[in-house]
Amino acid sequence: MERFGRRAARVGAAGLVAALAIAGCSGQALEGNDSSTEGGQITLKVNFWGDMGLDALKAKYEADHPNIKIALNSGEYNAQHEDLQKKLVAGSGAPDISAVDEGFIVQFRGQADQFVNLNDKGASSYESKYLDWKWKASQSADGKQIGLGTDVGGLAMCYRTDLFKAAGLPTDRESVSKLWPDWNAFIETGKTYTAKTGKKFVDSATNLFNPVLSQQPVGFYDQQETLQMEGGPKAGFDVAMKALDAGISANLASFQPNWDQGFKKDQFAVLACPAWMLGHIQDTAPDQKGKWDIAAIPGGGGNWGGSWWTIPKQGKNVDEAYKFVEWLIQPEQQIEVFKTVGNLPSQPALYKDPNVLNFKKEFFTDAPTGQIFASTAENLKPQYLGKKNGPTRVAVENVINRVGQGKLKSADAWAEAVKEAEKASKS
Amino acid sequence: MSLTDVRVVRTEEPKHAPPNRAKFWLYRFDTKTVPYLLIAPFFVLFAIFGLFPIIFNGVVALRHWRLDDPTLTGWAGMENFTKLASDTDFWDALVNTFGIFILSTVPQLLIALMLANLLNRKLRGATFWRIGVLLPYVTPVAASTLVFAVFFSRDYGLANWMLSLVGFGEEQPLDWRADTWSSWIAIATMVNWKWIGYNALLYLSAMQAIPKDVYEAAAVDGAGPWRQLWRITVPMIQPVVLFTVILSTIGGLQLFNEPMLFDENPALANGGYDHQWRTIAQLIYKVGWRDLNLGYAAAMSWALFLIILIVAAINALATRRLGGGK
Repeated sequence: MERFGRRAARVGAAGLVAALAIAGCSGQALEGNDSSTEGGQITLKVNFWGDMGLDALKAKYEADHPNIKIALNSGEYNAQHEDLQKKLVAGSGAPDISAVDEGFIVQFRGQADQFVNLNDKGASSYESKYLDWKWKASQSADGKQIGLGTDVGGLAMCYRTDLFKAAGLPTDRESVSKLWPDWNAFIETGKTYTAKTGKKFVDSATNLFNPVLSQQPVGFYDQQETLQMEGGPKAGFDVAMKALDAGISANLASFQPNWDQGFKKDQFAVLACPAWMLGHIQDTAPDQKGKWDIAAIPGGGGNWGGSWWTIPKQGKNVDEAYKFVEWLIQPEQQIEVFKTVGNLPSQPALYKDPNVLNFKKEFFTDAPTGQIFASTAENLKPQYLGKKNGPTRVAVENVINRVGQGKLKSADAWAEAVKEAEKASKS
Repeated sequence: MSLTDVRVVRTEEPKHAPPNRAKFWLYRFDTKTVPYLLIAPFFVLFAIFGLFPIIFNGVVALRHWRLDDPTLTGWAGMENFTKLASDTDFWDALVNTFGIFILSTVPQLLIALMLANLLNRKLRGATFWRIGVLLPYVTPVAASTLVFAVFFSRDYGLANWMLSLVGFGEEQPLDWRADTWSSWIAIATMVNWKWIGYNALLYLSAMQAIPKDVYEAAAVDGAGPWRQLWRITVPMIQPVVLFTVILSTIGGLQLFNEPMLFDENPALANGGYDHQWRTIAQLIYKVGWRDLNLGYAAAMSWALFLIILIVAAINALATRRLGGGK
């Protein structure tokens, strides 16, 4: 029987190896996504993109709540949203708290049963504090509230005072705002700048298309979800084409390495600035402190971007997650975020708060960011963003970029854009 | 004749004593069952992580499954596949995939063959060179592709700098991502860089099994090194050539990482603003995770699976002919 023992051991060993391999795999897959509770210690995983001003707040909250640890995970904008979507389908692995942007809220609002209905946790008491449209945008058709608003866009134009000076243009924000009462004047200013310096004026044509589009009453889709290319999109597209024809665009893809390099290598002098862009500028080019300033944008108000905090239902610590989110949206923290990264709160009462109104941003030559963005935000008439807004925007941006690459003539571009947008709307 | 047959014969060898009954069953168990138990773990894992997803994918392909519209669900029949037939995006992506596949596979295998032939000679520090060619293969594809993405960038890329040394594109730097041909070359370069060394080592190991006297005889008959390579080496390592051809066919048609990360904004899965280098694998990703149409993406996956089977079969046949085999 000794022989049998050896065989059995061998078979057993093979089985054990296989079992270990399987266990090893699954163990690894779960790691990193867990929100484990170890000895009363709870780790809350928070997913977002860019800089939402949470670093200082995290330390503060952890100090007040010794049993809570907060893991911040900042990733790429599209990747974070897609990751959340995959985890919702898979049924596990989503973070405890996930930021969702305006461009994706429609998609997730349609899957409201995957998220904690924050009204059940008592969020409805905040409804009156929020901008009405901001509150409704994260609400499902049957009234489930999936997110609490963090910031809204608002629009302004950031510019480099040192580069303007070198081109013989005025540098103080009053006179700069007067340079461009409308988009045509803006492009003329760009021509002057490019002619004098030989350098490009704006970062990309798509970053003109988007703000102009957001200033229009109707975007890609109307409330009935029909594509409306001749209105807002056409207005934005025309400005983008004019800029390309004038040769003032550096054609750098936004939020990509080359774009970030463009900041450092002075490849452009102006940038359309929603409030949240301020944080990106100061993180990307920290040594340009005092070289930036903020002027009015041609064509006035408009909203570009803005996010919500959501809590996926599959999390293990939804109550603790809600407590943290609730803490984050309190005026004190919202003002703190506004001061550090510039994100404009979505609770209008704060626009009258002296802490916001009197705040001057040192990085941007002491620009009164509170006054600038609060005045645009209050007059905002937000657009309806259709279900297919995301893919449609990408399709039209692709056409603009093809013109920028010289692969398509600007005269033929609009027909192409309409064709591609229609395709995207049916995708 | 299988492995188990050989063993059975051996158990019958001691014919002089009647077999102990318990021992006999143990022998039978050992020779008939244990081999299957030993190879079972792979097949169990394959069934769970390989076969099941393929079949499940086929089921999904026959259904509606849209994440942005939970009401649209249920059987779709062949609808996803008929849609595929008239979808220009799919056929464009197929052309791109084949273009990049040919640009990467053909030079890759040819250069690997030459390289292996060189490495097969007497070299000083042979091990160093042999391990050296494997280094690109060890580098994670995401890391190397990110470096290549910078290498081929328009404004401050190394590739354009080298071109400018020979006086090309000094006024208007080449925008590698803008044109179809340049983007294909850039991606094929990444693929070639990664796999040439790997294939060269496979060829080398096969070449070392060729007896030296064959070459001596050929040399006596007056065959030069070039003729020896094509008339002796290639036919004699033909099984390995076949293996590499099939392997690179599968890899080439599933190309995903390189085109994805070559994009200026990878998460969009654009494959260029005119989709000029979007491969099928990228299109599947885009349809599934950006358009949220999982049913249609599954149908595309199945179509890709069939295309790979067909192309691999054609390649295998052609290679067998080429090597002068039976």
